Amino acid sequence: MMLNVNGLSSGYGDVTVLEDITFCVESEIFTVLGANGAGKTTLLKTLAKLLPVKSGTVEWRGETITDMPPYELPSRGMAYVPQEGNVFPDLSVAENLSIGGLLDLPSREERLSEVYELFPRLVDRSEQLAGSLSGGEGQMLAVGRALMQRPEIILFDEPSAGLSPQFVDTLFQKILEIREKQNVTIVLAEQNAVKALEIADRVLVLSLGKIHLLEDARDFDKNRLMEAYHI
Amino acid sequence: MAYLIFSITLMLVYIGLAQLLHIQFGMLGIPNFGIVGFWGLGMYSVGVLNVQWDFSFIPALILTLLLVALVANGLGRLILKLEGQAMLCATLAFSAIVALLVITEKWLTEGVVGLGTIKYPFDAGAMTEPLYFLILLLIVVGIQLFINKLHVSRLGTLIFSIRDNEELAASLGKDTVKIKLELFTLTCALMGLLGALSAPLNQFLTPNMLVPSVTFAVWIALILGGKEHSMGAVLGVFITFGLFDLLIESYLPVAPEYAVMVPNFKLFLYGAVLVAVLMYRPRGVLGHSAAGARQELP
Repeated sequence: MMLNVNGLSSGYGDVTVLEDITFCVESEIFTVLGANGAGKTTLLKTLAKLLPVKSGTVEWRGETITDMPPYELPSRGMAYVPQEGNVFPDLSVAENLSIGGLLDLPSREERLSEVYELFPRLVDRSEQLAGSLSGGEGQMLAVGRALMQRPEIILFDEPSAGLSPQFVDTLFQKILEIREKQNVTIVLAEQNAVKALEIADRVLVLSLGKIHLLEDARDFDKNRLMEAYHI
Repeated sequence: MAYLIFSITLMLVYIGLAQLLHIQFGMLGIPNFGIVGFWGLGMYSVGVLNVQWDFSFIPALILTLLLVALVANGLGRLILKLEGQAMLCATLAFSAIVALLVITEKWLTEGVVGLGTIKYPFDAGAMTEPLYFLILLLIVVGIQLFINKLHVSRLGTLIFSIRDNEELAASLGKDTVKIKLELFTLTCALMGLLGALSAPLNQFLTPNMLVPSVTFAVWIALILGGKEHSMGAVLGVFITFGLFDLLIESYLPVAPEYAVMVPNFKLFLYGAVLVAVLMYRPRGVLGHSAAGARQELP
């Protein structure tokens, strides 16, 4: 068991968004689905320690990280790719990648080559400011920067948001590649259920801050997803 | 000649303050509107230690540096987690508190009567003021070299990343609050040092020196020169202080009958230049440093 979430409640200030969330993530692609406001982003932000845990515990590889500050997580192999503001706009592409690799300098060049191999378009853009990239290129950069941390788990918050359907296909293919070739565990919060289910191993569906269902992607009944979306 | 040396030395103080604001705001994103507070605290601290308690200048300077660092660290712990606007108000309030304390704590500061005379730390006869100018020049050059180095260092990139997106920087494994606190403490302490070094320049300290216009002058210079550019502070002070306050107001050759118009003309020109720069070069005359001045990470 890699990531173990037990009885988790969290939210913003006095507002509780997530209540009593319990699940565990193995070495897999673990997808979190749900309608707008279901609590997907809140869940990922809480796991990335950017939101405080109100109650419950979070364990990562046997270590309790419930009260750990966010900057302690990357050295433990956790990377987070937020939905918005996921690049440093006033830094160049190369600088964005470099900053992801500050934790482990000796292997930085090697990882940089791996990222450029995965996203060749970033090579041409390396001197360009990240703020001037297209949405898709920005998302590539965000994923690349997370990979520079040589993570064991990546928390992706709606990576397909605002991207063209064609690029969404490419991006999900890349995520699958990262999972299969680099054996990185993926937690993927997504609005695009159809695409997410194509690569998911297991699915957690949130509805109004609670777990609606949690099951294997192969057994997943899409009608139950409609229930969670209140359609 | 003595006035020119005094004016240029004072300009160096403003350059130093603007350089430190560049690190705080241009690089790190901390809107410090309490510059006059740290500067004034340094100036009065050295004044009190020197005049009231008979400390010689150098020990007074060292104690002042420690005092301002301590105050900045305490203030930083309180405010650096706040949003930008709240931070701005908090630092502005801090400078107002310093100014008020100088007025009310008469037993220490002599209040509105003023505190003096603070002498130069050495006596080299006619060379005292030029030598003092050289000391300040060395300090300003030192700060500039530090900024240049910071811009092309890994720490610099990290600082820029904190300014751009602190939450993201924290999620990449950086203790952003600690970095901000350390740099805020260091730069505010140096503002205090510049204040302490300004005390012998002014010789006699009065509370009306601690007015917000000092803070605003430094801000305008930095915005005008380019808050993100490594040389923005220097150019900005050269334009505002050097061109307008020194050259136009004091050395513009005009007929005596028109001399009365010079201050108004200066203000008009000052405003016009500021508006023009903000309209056509919103990031300051020198603009952004990323494409030009900043280099690839080593």
